[in-house]
Amino acid sequence: MKEQILDIADNAVKLATKFGADQAEAYTSFTRSFSIEVENNAIKSATEKRDGGCGIRAVVGKKIGFAYVTTLEENDIKEAVEQAVALANASVADPDFVSLPSYEGSYPSVEGLFDKDVKDLTSEEAADIVVRGVDSTLENIKNIKVATEALLTSNSGVRAIANSLGISQASESTLIFMYSAPAIKTDDDQTTSYEFQISRRLDEIDPEYIGYKAAQNVLGNLGGKSIEGGELPVIFAPLAASGIIGFGFGGAVNAEEVQYGRSYISDAFGDQIAGEVLEITDEGLLTAGISSRPFDAEGYPSQRTEIIGSGVLKNLLHNSYTANKDKVDNTGNASRPGYSGLPSISPSNFVVTPGNGSLDDLVDEVGRGIVCLNTGDRPNMTTGDLSAMVMEGHYFENGEIKHPVKSTLIGINMRDVLKRVTLVGSDVKATFSIISPSIAIDSAKITSG
Amino acid sequence: MEDLAEAAINAGLDAGASFVDIRIENTVTTILEMTDGVTKRSMASRLKGAGIRAFVDGAWAFAQNTDLTLDGMREVGTSVAKLAIATREKVSEKFEIEGPVFTAKEKMVVKKPFQDVSIDDKISFVKQIDKQAREYDERVVNTRTVYGDLWTELFVVNSLGTSIYHENYLPRIISVVTAREGNNRQRGFLSIGAQGGFEEMEKERPQNLGTEASKLAIDLLSSKAAEGGVYDVVMDPILNGVMVHEAFGHAAEADNWPAHATVLEDKVGECVGPDNLNLSDDPTMPRERGSFSYDWEGTKTRKRHLVKGGILTELLHSLETASRLDMEPNGAARAQSFMYPPLPRMSNTFMEPGDWDKDELIVDTKNGILLCGFNYGYTEPAKGQFMFQANYGYMIQNGEIGQMVRDVSLAGQILEVLPKIDAIANDFELDSGTCGKGGQGVPDMTGGPHARIIQVPVGGM
Repeated sequence: MKEQILDIADNAVKLATKFGADQAEAYTSFTRSFSIEVENNAIKSATEKRDGGCGIRAVVGKKIGFAYVTTLEENDIKEAVEQAVALANASVADPDFVSLPSYEGSYPSVEGLFDKDVKDLTSEEAADIVVRGVDSTLENIKNIKVATEALLTSNSGVRAIANSLGISQASESTLIFMYSAPAIKTDDDQTTSYEFQISRRLDEIDPEYIGYKAAQNVLGNLGGKSIEGGELPVIFAPLAASGIIGFGFGGAVNAEEVQYGRSYISDAFGDQIAGEVLEITDEGLLTAGISSRPFDAEGYPSQRTEIIGSGVLKNLLHNSYTANKDKVDNTGNASRPGYSGLPSISPSNFVVTPGNGSLDDLVDEVGRGIVCLNTGDRPNMTTGDLSAMVMEGHYFENGEIKHPVKSTLIGINMRDVLKRVTLVGSDVKATFSIISPSIAIDSAKITSG
Repeated sequence: MEDLAEAAINAGLDAGASFVDIRIENTVTTILEMTDGVTKRSMASRLKGAGIRAFVDGAWAFAQNTDLTLDGMREVGTSVAKLAIATREKVSEKFEIEGPVFTAKEKMVVKKPFQDVSIDDKISFVKQIDKQAREYDERVVNTRTVYGDLWTELFVVNSLGTSIYHENYLPRIISVVTAREGNNRQRGFLSIGAQGGFEEMEKERPQNLGTEASKLAIDLLSSKAAEGGVYDVVMDPILNGVMVHEAFGHAAEADNWPAHATVLEDKVGECVGPDNLNLSDDPTMPRERGSFSYDWEGTKTRKRHLVKGGILTELLHSLETASRLDMEPNGAARAQSFMYPPLPRMSNTFMEPGDWDKDELIVDTKNGILLCGFNYGYTEPAKGQFMFQANYGYMIQNGEIGQMVRDVSLAGQILEVLPKIDAIANDFELDSGTCGKGGQGVPDMTGGPHARIIQVPVGGM
């Protein structure tokens, strides 16, 4: 399969050069994904997807065109190649474009990205795993009306990237993800929660644990109250840190956003921007990491890049375009939505170096404030202003959790989030965007009502 | 395409499914993006394939297929039916899929189909908007302009006998401007979407969108972060639409009922707001981005009166939810593309206008905040909690509009916020957007009149 997908990419590149492209790149992939969805405590649906496609980037002078198609058929790819070249010809030249990437050295190898058990998972086995998770949630919620949603999804795929400067790479990987999300209802309250695991390996998914933890979480959310607002310390649990630090800061160190002056840290390169306890690295080669890969979405080798060390902003994340523009080294952070899009930039595994203590220890140390377990909010990436609803969270006082909060918002600028980090825990969790423990900041404006 | 659909459906029925449906799609899109006068993205795509569902005894299975041959369709029809059969023992409830049968073949007539407009003409339009935005003011430091068009032909067939072919044309233009003064950086984001050909982009407002977005970014430079607190909030039509969509519309999607995942579960036929409150979802509005005449299950659509006179009267249905809740299907099932199964979704969602003059509404507000435009929003229907963020706003003091503020968020509970609506103006406007649910994005419109909600928590810095 790997060779076949790579051949298709190599051929598309040759065709684009034949049609008049000065440089060309093809991204091809084939993914088989499988998911089982549970609703109201029982299976609702099963899905099997076979998704293959090809995206072509054609360069004429400094003009770029891109086209993709959702098949791997020769004629469809030929049409896409023609369109990519035609679009390049019609475009306005980008003076900052230098070249597609080239690389002749050896590629790093990353262990643990592929698990045959995930690839070979059958529908019956997948259904069994997700049902075990749901049963575990139900067993741990007694005498309360409960409706659980759950999902197990597994992916196994090959992607290949080839360009006319000699890059020609393919890799195979797997991913499995499961969550359980109970909704419970009492006479005077109704609430939900959620627990998940994500891994490259099947044997790292523990449905009983997911089910148990989801039950604990939802029971802990009963009895939400609003609180008196004001300036209060906030502890972001890993899932909340995923949104705020993973997306909210991970997106700000994107060199393209910085080059355009669209990032709230645009002028901060080399400055002390965070509390000294905060250390963040982008780890592209982490064994079995959710976002690990031997090469990025342009086929350039992945690496480890220090982002914040002792509170100082050390590096930005680059792809070939931004690195050429700034005349700096490419950090191998090109990312794209598969074959259907052009490369942009995103973190690989955005890792917050753990400190000491569990979430309870942080609560004890901080004394009084809010624990934000989860939020769907992201900062305004230009101003850094963040107004985040506490989707799930608790108020604590005298080092003890008092009650869940409802209709409560945290208002703070991202630059202050970073500067006000006082404690970093050791309760590390991997999410889609970050590998982080809980992080405490000493104050934010809390509004509740 | 009829024979391909028939091959898949027959194979699924033969393998033991009781209901099979299929969407065969052919979509062509163009996206042209310019930043600071330079082309950043010139992109064309073709989405070609089929999505097939099989159903038996309450168990659904879905598969996608890009092998559009008779053999390919037969094979996937059989395998998807087997997948449904494999999980039938583990479903919570047995039910059947029933529904009315529709047959139609509808071409959409537009003045300037996208395929007849040259790439050069489309790029000139993008250049014009980007240039306007750059030249508006020297404090503009970055401009981004995105033009997108999408033509789709969709063929929906099911084993009940429905067979619908229809087309859709959706153009869109987006202008994003960053302005800077010292360390203060602000962003103006505006977008216009419609249903129709390229002629929709030749109207006055889309032709001047760059200027409008730049003006917004420059105005925001003199805004301040709002003080968090509990306020009487006047929403502009755009934000009102977002409120209706997030705080109510999602919770009225009928797939929440079998899932027991909405706070509205026991509220059908009950009062949820003041008696002058009317909330509607209407995919039949002519030439709107969220309009369609048949849904992704082939059901003919109609206007849905979600809340009428303050009473929750209607839900958004797919064939499954209408069958299970024993209600009339109303054509609300949508899918992002053939790669996804259809789900009950909104289309053009809005609050119906009331009788207040909007200026009098401001004058009547002693101490409050006027919130305008929209950054984003989301909701958790099972918990009844929602949150959305206005792009900007103005403090209101003694009935007068004062200081401009930005990035103001509003959070609340669905069942608590609607009763707090105490005044609805008589103006009306819709704004274009894309709604996300279950990993699928679909084009929609939201809007309404100016309206006031009293005493809600507003988050600021």
